[in-house]
Parts: sequence; structure tokens; C-alpha cells
Amino acid sequence: MKKTITLVLSALAAILVGCGKAPEAKKLSVFCWSEYIPQSVIDQFTKETGIQVSVENYASNEEMLAKLTAGGGEYDIIQPSEYVVEALIAQKLLHPIDKTKIPNLSNIAPQFLKMSFDPDNSFSVPFMAGTVGIVVNTDLIKDDIKSFSDVFKPDNKGKIVVLDDAREITAWALLSQGLAINDMSDANLDKVKPVLANWIPLVKVFDSDSPKTALLNGDVAMGVVWGGEGAILLQSDPKFRWIIPAEGTHLFIDSLAMPKTAKNVENAEAFMNFILRPDVSKKISDAFPYTNPNLAARKLLSEEQLNNKASFPSDADIAKMQVFRDIGTQGSKIDEIVTSVKAQ
Amino acid sequence: MSLIAAVSGVHDSGGYRRPPNLVAWLVLMPLLAWLFLFVIVPTVMLVVVSFAERDALGRIVYDFTLQNYIRAFDWLWLKVFLTSIWYALLTTLICMFVGYPVAYTIGRAPLHWRGLLLMLVMVPFWTSFLIRTYAWITILSKDGLLNSLLVSAGIFSHSAEILYTPFAIVLGLVYNFLPFMILPIYTSVEKLDNALIEAAYDLGAGPVRAFSQVIIPLTRPGIAAGAMLVFVPSIAMFAITTLMGGGTNPTIGEVIFKQFTSGRNQPFGAALGTILLLIFVLALWITRKYREED
Repeated sequence: MKKTITLVLSALAAILVGCGKAPEAKKLSVFCWSEYIPQSVIDQFTKETGIQVSVENYASNEEMLAKLTAGGGEYDIIQPSEYVVEALIAQKLLHPIDKTKIPNLSNIAPQFLKMSFDPDNSFSVPFMAGTVGIVVNTDLIKDDIKSFSDVFKPDNKGKIVVLDDAREITAWALLSQGLAINDMSDANLDKVKPVLANWIPLVKVFDSDSPKTALLNGDVAMGVVWGGEGAILLQSDPKFRWIIPAEGTHLFIDSLAMPKTAKNVENAEAFMNFILRPDVSKKISDAFPYTNPNLAARKLLSEEQLNNKASFPSDADIAKMQVFRDIGTQGSKIDEIVTSVKAQ
Repeated sequence: MSLIAAVSGVHDSGGYRRPPNLVAWLVLMPLLAWLFLFVIVPTVMLVVVSFAERDALGRIVYDFTLQNYIRAFDWLWLKVFLTSIWYALLTTLICMFVGYPVAYTIGRAPLHWRGLLLMLVMVPFWTSFLIRTYAWITILSKDGLLNSLLVSAGIFSHSAEILYTPFAIVLGLVYNFLPFMILPIYTSVEKLDNALIEAAYDLGAGPVRAFSQVIIPLTRPGIAAGAMLVFVPSIAMFAITTLMGGGTNPTIGEVIFKQFTSGRNQPFGAALGTILLLIFVLALWITRKYREED
């Protein structure tokens, strides 16, 4: 009995003292997108701080959510996109950030701070941003492509690769009808269903992981792909051209955040601050050419990198882009619509 | 090989039966523990989840509902099931027609050749399945090896569309599952009694009749086992259909995968998975029945 009381008391004491105060182990567990944080950056962090980093990868926000909410792993850092940050904050699943520990936050361009999904960056710091746009192989396509409607024309049947992502495709269809990207009401879905029924049969390949492959291999002549993938294509061959759709497009912002269950909060904050350091952020841009929100890092990038329109759209273009909001269970409906059109 | 024998039931005909003693149970323990942990527990979890609901974040909410099953019996998802069954059937048939002669040749080859020939069937398994699938993409793409070869040899005037077609899907499936057909048929062929074939000839049967009425029935357990081993995994295979088929024609494996990831709907995915499981049980039961009739 005495033993039990002692145990309970010591457990209470531990809770009262709080895990933040006890010295943290030199460990950090990172759960991030595949192909997003170069291993050299992780190694450098360990070398500078002595903190051992274990990395696990995921391929979609939902995969991360599934593992996180199932309580499978104990993660200190996750890398959610904007609409997932919003949902995680709403469900009180994120740990607040002590911003005094992250002075490098001042390197971030103001347009990527204080965004609607986390109005004072209490829970997230921007990692990379990016967009979705059209890439065209000008050797094979002579038409002047300006918009989603130009891509999804019967003439282009069998020449198109798109992201294998029901929400993205539906968002483009909404944009083509002049509707808001996040208004996934049943009425709007009814409006875009015939558009999707026209578009989807024209597509040759659905690939979210590496849509550039089908373009590089010549299997398709144009695509609607992530900005980072587009940037790599532009670097590899001048025959590829990047177009921001006239209807507007989707701007995504991937952040670093800590789950509520994070064990090594101070290490995680040190990692966030490290990632936002200009020289480190530049390395990430070198490997994965997305839109770097870090102004100090942009100064270190080459002229060629900065002029890559797929990496760095103009401010005027960005102003026309829209950010995803969480749509909850409506995601299943979109998935069903897209699958039903594919299975025709 | 023992797994194949266990699935096909090649060895279970005849023999005496008595209840296993303590030592036998101890020997069986690891297998039973494995079955319990990795077959029974996950299956029960799958079935339980299939009757649950989910919240906006995709978390499972344990409120009993039949909604997932009602939704699963919509024509849309049935069509996806039928597509997958069609691909799997086609794959099984092609594997049978391609695999049988190979297995027969290996099984009837001189003893010292058999090991080497079997090894050649197994060698591709030493490389990761995904790497082999990506290799096919490099071979079949429009600017790929095969097309460049055919065009430069003057056989084709321009590159043919091979990759990202249903043909590529079936090719990928056949390529990956062919050894699962060859190996069980080989075990049947190897045990084939030559005297029976000679007897067939002595009794006036021609080669066609000897093959169709003696050899085929004798190797039937191997064919049935091979068919199961090819049919079952190829229904649910989604990596090949997405990578080599371009993901334009959804298969059930792909749809279930998406429910567990981007669809944020694990209960619905679990319901589809349970239905798939029932299809397998049915297929297994039919092959058992078919074998018992012999």
C-alpha cells in the first residue's frame, strides 16, 4: 500500500513539475513528408546540437492524421498542410509554440505569417509553400495553354498527367466555374460533377508522388502538378513551360508543428528555429525547389533558382491563389464523385 | 514450399489422424501465436471497425452502424470489385497457360537440371517488387527501352502506347505472380507417376488425350493451388495498377487504400476489406469443393 501511495505521489509530482522543466533527453522524433527535408539537414542538426533525430515519413496529410490520432507513434514534430493545421488546432491536438525560442521566425515573409489557419502562429511555423500549376511540353503541344479549361479539352485526351488527389481535381473544377475553392457544399459539388465527368476521361496518368516521371518519359505532353515538381522539370529541360492557370489556383503552406503529445518540446523548438535559419533553409530549397517563404534564405539562392516561375510565382499571381480550408467529412463525397467518374 | 503444400492441401489426402499430444502442441505454439496475432486479431479489428463511424478528422468513433455496408453495395463500388475480379481472373488464366508448360518442363527435366531451373524462376524475387515494377516503367514508357528498340529497328514507325494501359496492368500482374503458379504445379508434376502416362499410351490414348485425361487431372491439386495463390493477391494488388496502369481505372485495392489515407474513412475501407475477405473465403471454398469431388 505504502508503495502504491509513493508511486502515485511521485507520478503527481512529475505532472506538477511538468515535463518541460525536467531536462529533456537528447532526442527528437520527426514525422514529415517524404522528399521534403534532406537527410544532410537532419545530420547537420544532430552534429550541431547532439540531439539524435529519428525520422518517419508519410505521403499524405491524411496518412499522418491517421497515425497521429491512432496514437501509434510518439512524435515531436509533424509537418501538416494549412487545412490540417486548422483542423488540429480546432481539435486541440497541437502543442503551443514558445515563440521566444524561435527568433528566426522573423526571416519569414509577412505574407506567409498570421494566416487564417493559425492567426498568430501560436501553433505552427511555415516550412515551405507551393502551388499547383500547369506544365506543358512545348515540343509536343503548340497551342497556347493558359487555363485549366485549355488543358482539359477533348483534343488533349491521353496526353495529360494530373495529381491523384480528389480534392485537388475538384478544386480546379470549382475554379473553372468561378466558384470558391473551399465551398464544397452539395450544391457546388452537383455543379462541378459534369465538369469532372468531362475532364477525368481525358487523363492518361494520375500520380501525386512523381508526376514529373510521365512527363520526362514522354508518355504525356502536359500536366497539372505541384510547383516543386514543375520547377525540377523546368531545370531539366527548356522545352517545359510553367503556367499559372488563369482561373487561379491552390496555394499550399506546409508548416512545422508539435503534436500535443510531444515529449521533447524544447528540442522540437530548437529544430524549428534551425530549419528557419537562412543557410539551412537554402539547402532545403536546393534539394526541393518549392516556394521558400524564408526571405533571408532567398537572398542566398541563385538568380536561376529565383527566376524559376514554378518555385517563385510573382506576388500578383500569389494574390490570386487560394488556400485550402478543412472540409471535414465532405472529403468522402469528393472521393466518391471522382472514383465514380473514373470507374465509368 | 511447405506453405504451398499447406494451401493446396497436396499432402493432406490419406494418412492417419489422432489428436495431437502436448509436444505437438508445443511445436505448434509459435505458429498458433503467429496466426492469432497476425491473422485473427487484425481480422476481428477489421470487422469491428467496419461497423463503426468516423469523425471529421477521420478518427474512428465506435457507434454501431450498417451505413458502411449499405454504401458498399452501391453499383459504383460493385463495379470496382468486378473490374478487380476481372483483372485477377485474366491474370490467373494467363499465368496458368504460360506457367503450366514451364512447370511441366521443369518437373520432367533431368533431376540435376531441376534445381537450376527452379532457381531461375525464383531469382527475380531477390529484387524488391517495387524496383522491378519501376523497371517495367522504364522499359515500357513512350521513350523507353522497348519503344526505342522497336522504332530504331524499323518495326514500328512511331512509339506505341504500352504503359498506362490495361495491357500494362495485366502484364505487370502476370509478371509478378507467375512464380506462384509455376511452383505448386511443379510440385504436382514432379510427383507424377510415369507409369500412368505410359499406361494411357498403351491403352491407345494419343498425346492430347493422355494430357487432358491423365496428366491434367493428376496435377489438378497444383493447378488449383496455383490459381488461388495468383487470384487472391492479384485482386487486391494496388501498386501495379496505379504505377503501371496510371490509376485511371480504379481497382478495389486502390479504393481501400484511399479510404484509409486521403479519404479519411477507415470504417468504409474496413467494410470494403471485409467484403473482399468474404470473396476470398468463397473462392477458397469453391476450390475445396472442386477438389473434394475428385
